Amino acid sequence: MATESYDSSNIRVLEGLEAVRLRPGMYIGQTNEQGLHHLVWEVIDNSVDEHLGGHCDRIEVTIHEDNSLTVQDNGRGIPVDIKPEFGVSAAEIVLTKLHAGGKFDANSYKVSAGLHGVGVSCVNALSEWLHLEIWRDKQTWEQDYEIGVPKAPLKATGKSGSKRGTKITFKPDGSILTVTEFNFDTLSTRFRQLAFLNKGLTITLTDERQEGEGGAAFKTAEFFYAGGVSEFIKLLNKGKSTLHDKPMHFEGQREGPTGTFMIELAIQYNDTYGDQVFSFVNNINTIDGGPHLSGFRSALTRTINYYGTQAGLFKEKEQLSGDDVREGLTAVLSIKLPGAQFESQTKGKLTTDVQGAIATFVNEKLGEFFDKNPQVMKRIVSKAIDAYRAREAARKARDLTRRKGALDSGGLPGKLADCQEKDPERCEIYLVEGESAGGTAKSGRDRRFQAILPLKGKILNVEKARVDRMLGHEEIRAMITAIGTGIQSDFDPARLRYHKIIIMTDADVDGSHIRTLLLTFFFRQMQELILRGHVFVAQPPLYRIKKGKSEKYIKDDKEFTKEILRRATENVKIELPDATVMEGTELRNFLIQLDEFQQVFRRMERRLRDPRVVEALVNAEALDKKEDFAEKASVEKLHVAMTAVGLDAKLVHEEEHSSWRVIYKDPTNAERSIDVELASQPEYRRLRNFARQIAKFNNPPFKVVREGVVKDSVDNWRALLEYLKTEGTREINVQRYKGLGEMNAEQLWETTMDPEKRTLLKVNLEDIVQSDVIFNTLMGEDVENRRKFIEENALDVRNLDV
Amino acid sequence: MNCPICKKKVELTDPFMPFCSQRCKTIDLGNWASGKYVISSPLTPEDILETAVDTAEEA
Repeated sequence: MATESYDSSNIRVLEGLEAVRLRPGMYIGQTNEQGLHHLVWEVIDNSVDEHLGGHCDRIEVTIHEDNSLTVQDNGRGIPVDIKPEFGVSAAEIVLTKLHAGGKFDANSYKVSAGLHGVGVSCVNALSEWLHLEIWRDKQTWEQDYEIGVPKAPLKATGKSGSKRGTKITFKPDGSILTVTEFNFDTLSTRFRQLAFLNKGLTITLTDERQEGEGGAAFKTAEFFYAGGVSEFIKLLNKGKSTLHDKPMHFEGQREGPTGTFMIELAIQYNDTYGDQVFSFVNNINTIDGGPHLSGFRSALTRTINYYGTQAGLFKEKEQLSGDDVREGLTAVLSIKLPGAQFESQTKGKLTTDVQGAIATFVNEKLGEFFDKNPQVMKRIVSKAIDAYRAREAARKARDLTRRKGALDSGGLPGKLADCQEKDPERCEIYLVEGESAGGTAKSGRDRRFQAILPLKGKILNVEKARVDRMLGHEEIRAMITAIGTGIQSDFDPARLRYHKIIIMTDADVDGSHIRTLLLTFFFRQMQELILRGHVFVAQPPLYRIKKGKSEKYIKDDKEFTKEILRRATENVKIELPDATVMEGTELRNFLIQLDEFQQVFRRMERRLRDPRVVEALVNAEALDKKEDFAEKASVEKLHVAMTAVGLDAKLVHEEEHSSWRVIYKDPTNAERSIDVELASQPEYRRLRNFARQIAKFNNPPFKVVREGVVKDSVDNWRALLEYLKTEGTREINVQRYKGLGEMNAEQLWETTMDPEKRTLLKVNLEDIVQSDVIFNTLMGEDVENRRKFIEENALDVRNLDV
Repeated sequence: MNCPICKKKVELTDPFMPFCSQRCKTIDLGNWASGKYVISSPLTPEDILETAVDTAEEA
């Protein structure tokens, strides 16, 4: 380009200048502050165009005390030769003829800003005065204007040596512009943007109206970005955490409908959910986009989908949309396009069709980058997948509250058996698992104030041989609709339809799973109902004991054991070898201790895999504290006891705790250890405590005395416990309820629903935090954790209860 | 505790507890709505029997 000449023959005149002062709005938009700064953009555009042409790397802007303003560049200088058909200098034509400028000749400038294309002549026309100075071909040239009219022709005024460039100083005309004070921030914002968009260009701004910091004469700012748009990206992402350290930066040339054009693109993802994408054409921010932006967007979506598919990151049917791939995107696209066409006066939207060219560019460059940086690619794809899933989830969440499906005329779920009472304070709703239990509850309730909503919570997955406990879409919908408060941002506790929400599930593990699901749902999505004390858990009985005409309902296993042991000790005494006789409360407490001991024993047995080892631990003398394991003699005794019952065990010294341990082989031939670590387990301590408590009376054989006569003799504590449990269930009829459905309506009312007799557990937040932890483990995606949890708690329903 | 969706740390006093944000809370609701939360246990003969009875009753 430098080889082509730039003189007056390059300048073409398009239109006269007369109308500008008459209708300034037509040329600079408005005559307010915006219009005032528009004048600066017009002037600086010429200098930036010199930079785009490769002739200028520094622009200095100065605001003077009287609000006149100077723009000086080190470009080639406006041509000064006389344009034959006008008889004046080319510079004067540029300054006085509307739409005159090198930019209208594609040979001189490949691209130009174009937005402000009315030209510097407009500025001249709207200035009280304007001073032009040009350094070109070692000469200095000067000319002065008043309201656009030259006071004299352009004149050579001195020698400039090697200095080159153009300097224009103008004072906006206060009789036309309503604002004449330049704003430092407005100017610096635009200059910073120009510096980002024009890598290597330095723009300085000096404000002679204001003192600078630290004693400097004037307030100044300098903008220079060697990294170009990448540095713009860094500024936009400042303080955000990014998915990759360095912005991607792509540059290149492509062929467009108007010839070769330059593309510069920088991309960086951060972890937010918004996007910031700026597109520029010839330094103009195209806020309404256009083919260049569409090309970028479509290529981004296509490339990310392509790489995600190649890397196998999608689950079936997942297809990322533009919105998905733009979450967290910060991007700046800048093109320098010769002959750019825009849709409207404001130039917010490009119309030149470069979509295909840009799309190809982005596909190619982004693809190359992803090939070289697979880790970054995976992070970006994963982020987009998260966005996709969030959008899908939000869509499904919205569907929940759409009015469709099984609702009755009042908008309530068809499955709901509502109550007659309308005052929410007096109303209750039972959430009942299972159709049959729901049916029983419907017959048993007091329909005046009790509503029943049966929920289906169980799905057999016969193929995979498992039972899935879950609340389906319809169940969740029915529940939300019946409760009436709405959900998420629509949630309003004032619309609550029942002040007691009662979860009623079977008293078994399955029931506790459904209960956990329901509580977790309330905790996560309707927490306020818990905080306000509206959520309860019903306590259906687990046993019914019947003797003759009297009935008794019992809520759990522990209470059941107590009850039958109480019955057993009504008629029976126990005589020990030393003639001690145990009876009544003392006997009953001993038996309850035995029962608990037996449970701890079983639990230890599951851990240690061999009852003989547990027995040896029970009988060991002093093996409780850490120090006990430091005594070789104590641990040795255990070792002897274990070997005596035929266990393959050895005594080992342990450096780590300077203590002793016994290592033995369990029935599967795996090595297990009795050591300090085991002794620190609560279960171990409970086992030892119970062993001490029962020791006093654990003195077989036990003689069973009924009505003063010795009926039997049993020779160990286990047998004694068994014997008396059987004794306690004599002459009574025991029914264990596997589920609510086994009770009839009357029984369910009497035991669980009658406000006079029932016990309800009010759910509080602490219970529920715990429930959420359990829930997370139970249903979590961490399969390994879940397997461990279920294994460890397989028979321990206690841990699943809330 | 950690946000059930994104695992970010959440304090008991945070406005969306146990979630970190409205967004994660919405995702959670979407998961409920699409039956993503499942507690599974091995199938027992009783389960099969019970289902057979239920199905018969429904029919």
